[in-house]
Amino acid sequence: MRFLAQRLMLFVAALFALSVLVFAALRILPGDVAAVMAGMNATAGQVARLRTELGLDRPLAAQYGDWLAALLHGDLGVSAFTGRSVTAEVAQRAQVTFPLIGMTMALALTAGIPLGCAAALARRPAVRGAFRLVAIVAGAVPALWSGLLLILLFARGSGLVGLFPSQGFPMGGWRQPGAAFASLTLPAVASGLIVAASLMRHTRSALGEQLEGGAVAMGMACGMTRTEAALRIGLRLATPQLVSVAGLTLAQMVTSVMVVENLFALPGIGAMLVTDVGNRDLIAVQSELFLLAAFFLLVGLLVDLAHHALDPRLAAGADREGGRA
Amino acid sequence: MIGTSKRRGSAVRGGPAVCGGRAARAAGAAGRTLYAVWSRGGGRAALIVIGVWTAVALVSLVWTPWPLLATDGYHTWQAPSPAHPLGTDGTGADVLSWLMAGAATDLAIALLVALVAAVWGTLLIAAMVSRHGALAGTAVVAVDALISIPTVLLALILAVPLGASVAVVVCACGFAYGLNLARIARPAALLAARSAYVESALANGASGMGVLIRHILPNSLPVIAVQLSMSAGTALLAEAGLTYLGVGVPSGVPSWGHSLTTSVRFVTVYPAAVLWPGLVVTVAVVALNLLGDALRDATDPAAVGSAPPADAVEPDGTGEVRDGR
Repeated sequence: MRFLAQRLMLFVAALFALSVLVFAALRILPGDVAAVMAGMNATAGQVARLRTELGLDRPLAAQYGDWLAALLHGDLGVSAFTGRSVTAEVAQRAQVTFPLIGMTMALALTAGIPLGCAAALARRPAVRGAFRLVAIVAGAVPALWSGLLLILLFARGSGLVGLFPSQGFPMGGWRQPGAAFASLTLPAVASGLIVAASLMRHTRSALGEQLEGGAVAMGMACGMTRTEAALRIGLRLATPQLVSVAGLTLAQMVTSVMVVENLFALPGIGAMLVTDVGNRDLIAVQSELFLLAAFFLLVGLLVDLAHHALDPRLAAGADREGGRA
Repeated sequence: MIGTSKRRGSAVRGGPAVCGGRAARAAGAAGRTLYAVWSRGGGRAALIVIGVWTAVALVSLVWTPWPLLATDGYHTWQAPSPAHPLGTDGTGADVLSWLMAGAATDLAIALLVALVAAVWGTLLIAAMVSRHGALAGTAVVAVDALISIPTVLLALILAVPLGASVAVVVCACGFAYGLNLARIARPAALLAARSAYVESALANGASGMGVLIRHILPNSLPVIAVQLSMSAGTALLAEAGLTYLGVGVPSGVPSWGHSLTTSVRFVTVYPAAVLWPGLVVTVAVVALNLLGDALRDATDPAAVGSAPPADAVEPDGTGEVRDGR
């Protein structure tokens, strides 16, 4: 309980600190936001007008307060470049990014966990070494490069074997599920490779620890084979750790997801952020960055809570540790 | 008390290195560890690759086959030839020269990220194992909360005021990997902090800071070194991704991410140009990961892998905590 309260408090504090950080990063620009947004050729009058329009001539505290109040009401502001509401833009682009993240994770889990189990269960040193090398090499390929290689191998039109489209997302979106799914396949493989390798290594080490522990030995004493005991008892005991690792990997794979979104010309959130930073659409960038960071803080919180729910030993340990001064 | 000391002592060998000649002992331990890494296949390959990488980076500071700015509009996207061993890029510049110069930038980035992560991570570890209960509890939960923020979002936030720069990569990665380091090294540090020799040092009037430097950090050093080696590899992947997204190394500065990015646009026309930059990054990251694995094996003879040579099992060198729990 103490852990829960502390974790929630830190979550709110981190959200707050993050909003200050994002706000400050956009206000310590050389010159100011209005001058940057108006561009090089703007006259002083135009800059002044834009400044008043965006409310940048008011005190910082008032600006920050207004932004925060609007955020709390779900109003992310209006893009100065396109004139569209940032909320609508994010909602539309989330239809590409979240399925992509989901597919990446699904691919990584279906490849990484079985391979990790196989690596942990392998007995011959040569086989263990081979698994180890596969995990290291697969985890060392930049997503940009694996994406390019996949385009060269499997892209329709330009690849050796034209299987999947390599550019863009269907206009109809998910109303054309087949086409939408196909257009996300290569990007998901490209960004999933590193994640799969990382999950494989973590599964191997978590299951390896369990194999040396008493629970698996007990299972074997009760008549299970080593493999049965490892998969039915060891894997289950390793689950809390793996949930935690999968959550962390989610945060790390966002770089890859953004890279492949740009590489495969997918209209996702990552592509939007990069475009908006490039366009100096700073009011939109401010809200988008905060929203995304808040989302991942929330995912982190949920993963931590799941980890604690799955592993009661941990909750007991945290309370005892916290109580000791 | 004696029983406790015996039990702890077996887990954290060589902790109380309080006698004279500490520098010499530390150098000796480092030399033995290096030899143990060298005497493993993976470790030897890693050291060779890193050695070649460093040598190339140093050479590139004074000499490259072609000047970096030597462009040639009549010889763009050339296939490898005696004049240009790896061909030329879209401006007719020599690919090998740019990769050599990129080696220096990427080496600097890897080292700086490791340095920032080490300093920031050590501060966090110090807070996490502090005897001040509230501080320690807050630090643990704060790390849990902050670790879920993606590196790329931090980089984008920093890139708004700083623009594309090496500092963005170093700060964003250093911050994120410092959090990872703290989380991973905490069990080892905690075990040392709660040990009998730390208690006795404190009872003898040692300051908290002194205990941290003389006992807790040396005992966590193996875990820290392994994690830093892997983090340096991840930093190279992040550099490639962030540079492609336009917030990493600025255009015009040679880096492997830059070389990879310039090959992207015409990938379907000149597929061969993609090969070298990606391969170089992958090999370097594999080497850093192999180094990490070899370091772990070298400091923990009981770990899986090939049996170490007898003289590599140092009796009093870097003690290793296999598993903090």
